Amino acid sequence: MTMDKLKKHFPWITLIALIGLVGIMDPNFLSLTNLIRLAADISTLFIMALGMTFVIYIGGIDLSSQSVANMTTVLATLMLPILGVGAALFCILIGFGFGFVSGFVSTKLKVPSFISTLAVGGIALSLGQYASGQRALYMNAEMRDQAFGWLVGNTAGIPHELIIALVLLALAYFVERRMTIGRALKSIGAGELAAVASGLQVDRFKMFAFALSGAFAAIAGLMFAVKLSGGSPVIANGFLLPAIVAVLVGGTPLTGGVGGVLNTFIGAMIVAVVRTSMLYLEIKATDQQIFFGIVLIVAIALTIDRSKMKTVK
Amino acid sequence: MSNFVSKEKLQKWAPLLVLIALIFVFSFANSNFLSIRNFARIGIASTPALMIAVGVTYIIIMGSIDLSMEGAVAVSAVLFATLFIAFGGSLASWAWLAVPVTLILGSLFGLINGLVHVKLKIPSFMASLSMGFVGIGLSLLVTGGDRIRVEDPLFRSLLTERYFGFPLMVHCALVALVIGWFIQCYTRIGRNFYAVGGGEDLAHASGLNVQKVRVLGFMIAGVFYALGALFAVAQIGIAETATGYNLMFVSITSVVVGGTALWGGNGGVWNSLIGVLIVNVINNGMIVVGLPRYLQDGVLGLLVIVAVVLSTDRKSLAFVK
Amino acid sequence: MIPMFELKKVEKTFPGVRALKGVDFEIKRGEIVGLVGENGAGKSTLMKVIYGAYQHDGGEVLVDDKPVRFENPRQAMEMGVGMVFQEQSLISNLTVMENIFLGFEQQFVRFGLMDWKHMAEAARFQLAKVKLDIDPATTTSELSFAQRQLVELAKVLTLEERVDGDLVILLDEPTSVLAKEEVELLFKLVRELTERASFIFVSHRMDEVIELSDRIYVMKDGEVVDSLKADDADVDDIQHKMVGRNVDKEYYREEKQKPFNKDQVLVELDGISRASSYKDISLKLHAGEVLCLVGTEGSGREAIIRTIFGLNRPHLGQVSIKGEQVHTFKANEMVDRGVGYIPRERKIEGIVSGMNVYENMTLSQMGRHSRFGVLNLAGEKKLARKWIDRLSIKASSEQADCGNLSGGNQQKVVLAKWRSGGSNIILLDHPTRGLDIGAKEDVYEMVREMSDEGVGVILIADTLEEAIGLSHSILVLKDGEITKRFDCEPGNKPSLYDLVHYMV
Repeated sequence: MTMDKLKKHFPWITLIALIGLVGIMDPNFLSLTNLIRLAADISTLFIMALGMTFVIYIGGIDLSSQSVANMTTVLATLMLPILGVGAALFCILIGFGFGFVSGFVSTKLKVPSFISTLAVGGIALSLGQYASGQRALYMNAEMRDQAFGWLVGNTAGIPHELIIALVLLALAYFVERRMTIGRALKSIGAGELAAVASGLQVDRFKMFAFALSGAFAAIAGLMFAVKLSGGSPVIANGFLLPAIVAVLVGGTPLTGGVGGVLNTFIGAMIVAVVRTSMLYLEIKATDQQIFFGIVLIVAIALTIDRSKMKTVK
Repeated sequence: MSNFVSKEKLQKWAPLLVLIALIFVFSFANSNFLSIRNFARIGIASTPALMIAVGVTYIIIMGSIDLSMEGAVAVSAVLFATLFIAFGGSLASWAWLAVPVTLILGSLFGLINGLVHVKLKIPSFMASLSMGFVGIGLSLLVTGGDRIRVEDPLFRSLLTERYFGFPLMVHCALVALVIGWFIQCYTRIGRNFYAVGGGEDLAHASGLNVQKVRVLGFMIAGVFYALGALFAVAQIGIAETATGYNLMFVSITSVVVGGTALWGGNGGVWNSLIGVLIVNVINNGMIVVGLPRYLQDGVLGLLVIVAVVLSTDRKSLAFVK
Repeated sequence: MIPMFELKKVEKTFPGVRALKGVDFEIKRGEIVGLVGENGAGKSTLMKVIYGAYQHDGGEVLVDDKPVRFENPRQAMEMGVGMVFQEQSLISNLTVMENIFLGFEQQFVRFGLMDWKHMAEAARFQLAKVKLDIDPATTTSELSFAQRQLVELAKVLTLEERVDGDLVILLDEPTSVLAKEEVELLFKLVRELTERASFIFVSHRMDEVIELSDRIYVMKDGEVVDSLKADDADVDDIQHKMVGRNVDKEYYREEKQKPFNKDQVLVELDGISRASSYKDISLKLHAGEVLCLVGTEGSGREAIIRTIFGLNRPHLGQVSIKGEQVHTFKANEMVDRGVGYIPRERKIEGIVSGMNVYENMTLSQMGRHSRFGVLNLAGEKKLARKWIDRLSIKASSEQADCGNLSGGNQQKVVLAKWRSGGSNIILLDHPTRGLDIGAKEDVYEMVREMSDEGVGVILIADTLEEAIGLSHSILVLKDGEITKRFDCEPGNKPSLYDLVHYMV
């Protein structure tokens, strides 16, 4: 009982302990500007993880996020001269659509989500390569500043990307806690059969969760494209692992039903602090992957609700 | 109406029919398609993927899934190259030792993969995905992101030496396939894969050690991944982290397209051969008829969805996550 | 003669349920023992203890007077105890011989390879014992149900060669899928095999149990209530013992049963059929009526209820709710029309454990508690408090996790979910399963209250007594068809035996 109660608080205790630990190694780390910068740096990844949270929350997984984000960087770059700021809406809709297709394939055609999202990710990858002609594309600096300058600025020392991430978090939190959709998703994650027996249109809600994930991945891709002033079909590679890690370390288990977007915020911050601390420990970026892979295994093992799984396949 | 062609029979032979139909279509579209040279090209491209597909076939027969192959191949490839060079750099010297050592390392990787899945009770898709990431990371650690060249002509003869128009590696892969078929049909473990996939609870109730079967399955798969890595290195003479790139997608698509159902219990390595050939004929055919290469991921994506949908008896499923 | 296999005061407790209450049970060498009891009487738990799937947590299991403890089915097998499951327990994608020797293939491995010829030979030897002449390399899915049942038996009979001592073989409903001649064949076989083995025979078909067994154990509520010689037994007598005490009118609140409103039809089924579930079902449910569907497992009761809730659709016939014909069979549609469903698996389908009381209560009616998709939490909590009060649900507050409530209170939450949303057609699927007596009485009380308020109830009862005690009308189903309709005015209710007669 006490262990269960403690488990719930584990993520933020970990976060504070980690911040404290790094703070001891380097007191400068604890300065407000540094912490803000840390949060801002992780914001793109966080947004992707935010969307993925909805899918994991209902007990599925979205492996297409990285490909959708990749594709979006290309599409955003291509659409900027044509649609201006409207390119943002275009990208979000495309992401929503791709997510929706994943959801459709997984709920209506009964293909397990890890396969359906993998397949849809493959389609997104193809589209990204097709649209870009397999090259890196660059945005016209003037056009970019005109349409999306507000994405990358600073206000009162706070980077706008952080503000956007927090606004999206607030929005997602509102959806999760105060809207019927959020409640429905929770019931699906915690007890899908009971949700069906309550007359909920479970399939629709599930498809919506996948669509949300796609839309958030697209927003992440868009921000990335603006930040780097261009796009390429491989630019966001390396996002998938830390995004999944952020969700799971934050305390939304693979079996769904508990946790949520606020947990993912904590999870993303943990990822950010760990990354920074690795710099202090002089561990190269390339070696972090092993570490995150192992963290992922540990996080799943600690959070997963085994009573929900009859057999582990 | 006579039921000359039953649904089961059609389902069983559909992949082969699809393969034949594809070959017909591409042959008509471009006469260059139907040539030994082009078939050899398809054979070379298929070889590493076939090995990976054979390995993961066992896992899928058990009703599990393995997504670690990109990492496993990357690790095996770079470790093989490193050892090969350290042992003298030529098959004629002690470097041949690198081959068995790599296969053992592959099985060790599979062992860890299986233990994480079974002992920590983590669903296999996630356990193996995580292990795949660990594998990629390990390979980066070994190479520091660099490429390792393996230029020993004796080793490269796997590609350069041809018999009956096909390079040596294609023949080697076929031998490995037959061994894979032997494991599937004539060994206790091979049959136990089907038992676990057909009904895990029932197998357990009959006294089968299901956990052991699962771990062994991942180990055998690991050996085949290592074999795939060797062929991949022989193919281009380079070992690097990217050696495993895209192999996960291609191999799983192949297995499923070949007719082994994701739910486990049926199919086998011959199905995977057909699947690998379908995928590679499509890739090759698209290039031959002048379609851009990068469309293949999208086509494979559609293919895998269609294959899973067709192979699923959806009435029998309660709900799918 | 000392019994070769004996249970003494065996106990088995699961969280909240004492499934076996000091069971005494013995089998002598070469004996065929019948085991009967209603669903939930503890038969299957007892069998699982015997073949090692469960471990007893009180009393003793003795083999040849020596206490044993089976940690898993394999250990039980090594002591000669084998289970013949119902026909579904063969792995259908494997061949017959692989199924027979599953888990014991090592004996056929030569130089690491499987010797199929050798295995086929051994399998033929086993199949001969059950007089089944088929190719051992046949894939199991190609066999008939009767053949599979015999293969199951052959599989267990491999114990003959593996174990030195005597065998105890459990037969779980072996006749349920067999035709008359096949049953006779099986019985003949079992009798022949008593030279080597003793049998425990579990079945719902009383006449068969009496015919085959030497002795019969009758179970009820986790206890053995009687053990009698088959020669002295008759069907009525055994059934009486299975059901136990006489129906207690007060227990089921019979005095509160009032006539229903015959003019107001809530649900009308007109000749609906659904392949392999039910056939030509017509019924009318009126306001204030409790209509009970009675039948054995698989008689089509559940499928009919699920059709009315929109979870499956009939292939033929018409369904009307409150006079309107239904065309789209979807649960949300039915909920909008006022149908509420209380499923059998309370913990899985009834409540969402991990969500609190008010979230569970409004789950089926979120539209009513939200505007533009935004939930009115204050309103939900108020509603929950009202119903917690009204049904006296024992929960610390409306914020309590439903997973932590007792079974009875969980059921009340599920009921409140539908009642608070104004549903007036309530489908109750085993509403009292797994509840203690007090909680059961609460449920009966609520059923009466609903009737008073003009709610129509379709009930699948946990026991026949419950069905008779609660309902205004009873429809008996057999193999998906209605075989008989009973009116159940208080004081003029049918007896158990009236019902059973039409069930089997």
